[in-house]
Amino acid sequence: MSATLTAAAPRRLRFAVSQEWLLAIAILLLFVGVGLYNPRFVASRNLQSILLGNAYVAVAAIGMSMVIISGNIDISVGSLIGVLASVSGGLAVAGVPSVLAWLIPVAIGSAVMAAQGALVAYLGLPSIVVTLGMLSILKGGLISVTNGVWISNLPDNYHLAQWSLFGVVPMPVAFMVVLTIAAAWWMRNTALGRSIYAVGGNAEAARLCGIGRERTLMMVFAVHGAFVGIAAVLFATQLSVIQSTVPSNLELTIITASVVGGVSILGGTGTVVGATLAAVLIAAIGSSLIFVNLSPFWLRAVQGILILVTVLADIYRRRRRGLAR
Amino acid sequence: MRLSLAAMALGATLLAGHGAFAAGARWDGADDLPVNPLPCDGGAGTVVSKAYDGGKAVNAPNMAGKPITLVDVPKLIGIGYFNATSQGMQEAAKELGNVKVTTDGPTEAKIDEQIKFIDNYITRGVNGVLFAANDPVAIAPVLKKALSKGIHVVGYDANSTPDAREWFVNQAEFNGIAKSMIDNMAKEMGENKSFAIVTSTFTTPNQARWIAEMWAYAGKCHAKMKWLETVEAQEDNILSFNQASTLINKYGDQLSGLFGMTSVATPASAEAVTRAKLCGKIAVVGLATPNAMKPYVKTDCVKSVVLWNPVNLGYAAVYVTRAVVDGKLKPGDTSVEAGKLGKLMVVNGSEILLGSPFTYTKENIDQFNF
Repeated sequence: MSATLTAAAPRRLRFAVSQEWLLAIAILLLFVGVGLYNPRFVASRNLQSILLGNAYVAVAAIGMSMVIISGNIDISVGSLIGVLASVSGGLAVAGVPSVLAWLIPVAIGSAVMAAQGALVAYLGLPSIVVTLGMLSILKGGLISVTNGVWISNLPDNYHLAQWSLFGVVPMPVAFMVVLTIAAAWWMRNTALGRSIYAVGGNAEAARLCGIGRERTLMMVFAVHGAFVGIAAVLFATQLSVIQSTVPSNLELTIITASVVGGVSILGGTGTVVGATLAAVLIAAIGSSLIFVNLSPFWLRAVQGILILVTVLADIYRRRRRGLAR
Repeated sequence: MRLSLAAMALGATLLAGHGAFAAGARWDGADDLPVNPLPCDGGAGTVVSKAYDGGKAVNAPNMAGKPITLVDVPKLIGIGYFNATSQGMQEAAKELGNVKVTTDGPTEAKIDEQIKFIDNYITRGVNGVLFAANDPVAIAPVLKKALSKGIHVVGYDANSTPDAREWFVNQAEFNGIAKSMIDNMAKEMGENKSFAIVTSTFTTPNQARWIAEMWAYAGKCHAKMKWLETVEAQEDNILSFNQASTLINKYGDQLSGLFGMTSVATPASAEAVTRAKLCGKIAVVGLATPNAMKPYVKTDCVKSVVLWNPVNLGYAAVYVTRAVVDGKLKPGDTSVEAGKLGKLMVVNGSEILLGSPFTYTKENIDQFNF
C-alpha cells in the first residue's frame, strides 16, 4: 500500500507544478497585456492595491485548500471571517491590546472549525451540510448581535496594513507569502502534512497505513480555522471601519482560488502555492476589468470560466492517467 | 493542459473585448426613466400637478387650536436616526405649545410589531398617528382603521399606500438629491474637472434614479464637468474601497472627484482617497450617514455629505399634523407653513416635500448621531 502512495507522489507533484506555472504565466500575461493597454495598471500603487486588498483571500484559501484536499469543503468560511472580524474589532474598540485583538479571533476560528471538523469526522456528517448550517448560524447571529452597526474608532495601532516588514513589504502581503511557503513546506515534508493527501486520496488506504482519518480531519479543520482567523484579522484591519455584516460571496471567491489553484475538488491533490497564485490572479483580473472598462459582472463570469476549465482539465488529466495505467 | 491554455486565450479575448460606449447616452448606472432636473439657480422646478390621493379621517372631532395628543410609531426605536426624528418632533411640539407627542415603537424593524403598537394606540385613543412604515402595504389596514375612528394619520420617512394616510412628509426627491450632489461636487473640484461614480449595482432602483437625475442636472447646469466612469461595488465595504482605489490608480491626476452613491460606497471612497494621500486633490461627495463620515469630515478629506436632516423631518411631520387638525392643510392645497422651515410644497398629490437635501459639513456633523 505504501508503495502505491509513494509511486503516486511524483505524478501528483508534477501536475501541481504545472498548474502553478500556468497560473504564474497567466498572471504575467495579464500584467503585460493590461499594462500595455494602460501602463498605470502595473504602477506600484496599483500592484500594492491588488495585493493588499486581497491578501486575506489568499490566506483563507490556504486553509480551504487543506480542507478540500482532505476530501471536504467549507462554505461557512465567509461568514466566519465576517464574525471574527467583528469580534476582533469589537475587542480592539473595547480597549483590549491590539495583539490580543489579533490573536483571540485566531483561537476562536480554530475552535469553531475544530467543532465542525468533529461533526464531520466522528459523526460522519457531510461537511457541506455541517458548514452550511454554520453559515446560517453565523450570518444570522452576527446581524442579531450587532444590529448591523459598524465598528469604528479603532485604535491607530490596530491596523496591520500600516505596518510593513523591513519597511517595504506591507504586513498583509508578508503574511500571505510567509504563510503560503510555510504551509506548502509543511504539507510536503511532514508526515502530518502528507496525511492530509492520504486521507483525501484514499481514506481506506490511509487507514491501513496507520493514518487515523478522524484525527486527521479534526486537525485539518482546526488548522484551517487558524488560517481563517488570520484572514479575518487581515480583513478587519484594512480599513478604519468594520462593516459588521457577512461579506457577500466571500466563500465562493475563496473556494474558487483553491480550485483554480489546482486543488482537485475530488480531494487528494493540489498545493497551497497554486491557491495563493490563483487568489492573486482573480484579484488582478478584478482590477484589470476597471482598467479595460469592463463591468465587474465579468469578474463572476471569468471566475466561472476559470473554475470550469480547471475542473475539466483535472478530469482530463485523471482520465489520461487512468489510460496510462 | 491544452484546454486550460485555450481558456486563457478565451479569457484574454474577453478582457481585450473592450466595452463599447454609446456616445451621448446616460452615464452607466442610470435608469431610462424620464428625468426632471431642477433649475440651476435653486428654484422649485416643474411641479407636475396631481389630484389629492390621500385618505380622510372620518368624523374627526374639531380640535382646531385645542391641545392634541399624537403618537409617533417609527420603524423601530433606539437607533440614532429615529432618535433624531423624535427629537425634531419634540422641538416642534414645544414651539407649538398645544401638541403632545410620544414616540413608541418596536425595538426591531418588524411590521407585525409596528401594527400592534398602532392598534394599541388606536384603542387607547389619540388625536393623531405619525408613522414610518416598515412595509407600505402591510401597514395600510391598521392605518385605515385609525382614519375610520377619526384619528389623523401622517407618514414620514417611509410611506404607506397613499389612501391609508392623509399626508406623507417626503424627505427628498431624486432630482433634489441629484442637484445637491452635483452642485457640491462642482463647488469642490471645479467645473472643468473629471469625476467617477461608485454605486451599488447598475440596476439598484434608487441609485439608478439618482444617477439619471445627476446626469440630467449636470448636463443642464454644469455641462463642462466630465464623467469618466461608474463602477459597481455592491454594498460591500472592502469591494467599495478596492473599486475606488482602482479608479484612483487608473486615472491618476485626471480624476478630481468621486461620488459615493450608497452609505457604504461614500466612506469607502473617502478611505481610498485618504490612503492614497490625495485628500484635497480628489473631492469625495456622496450620500452617507453622518456617523460613518465623521472621521473623514474631521480630517477635512470630505467636505460635503449629502442627506436629509432627520430632525427637520420629524419637526415637519408634527407641523403638518397640526395644520391638518387646524384645517390649514386641506386636499388641493399646494403648500403648508412649517415653523422655522417656512413654506413646504405639496408634491405628488398628497406628499409634503421637506425641501432641499441637507449637507453635513465639519461645522454641523457633530450635532448628529446616526
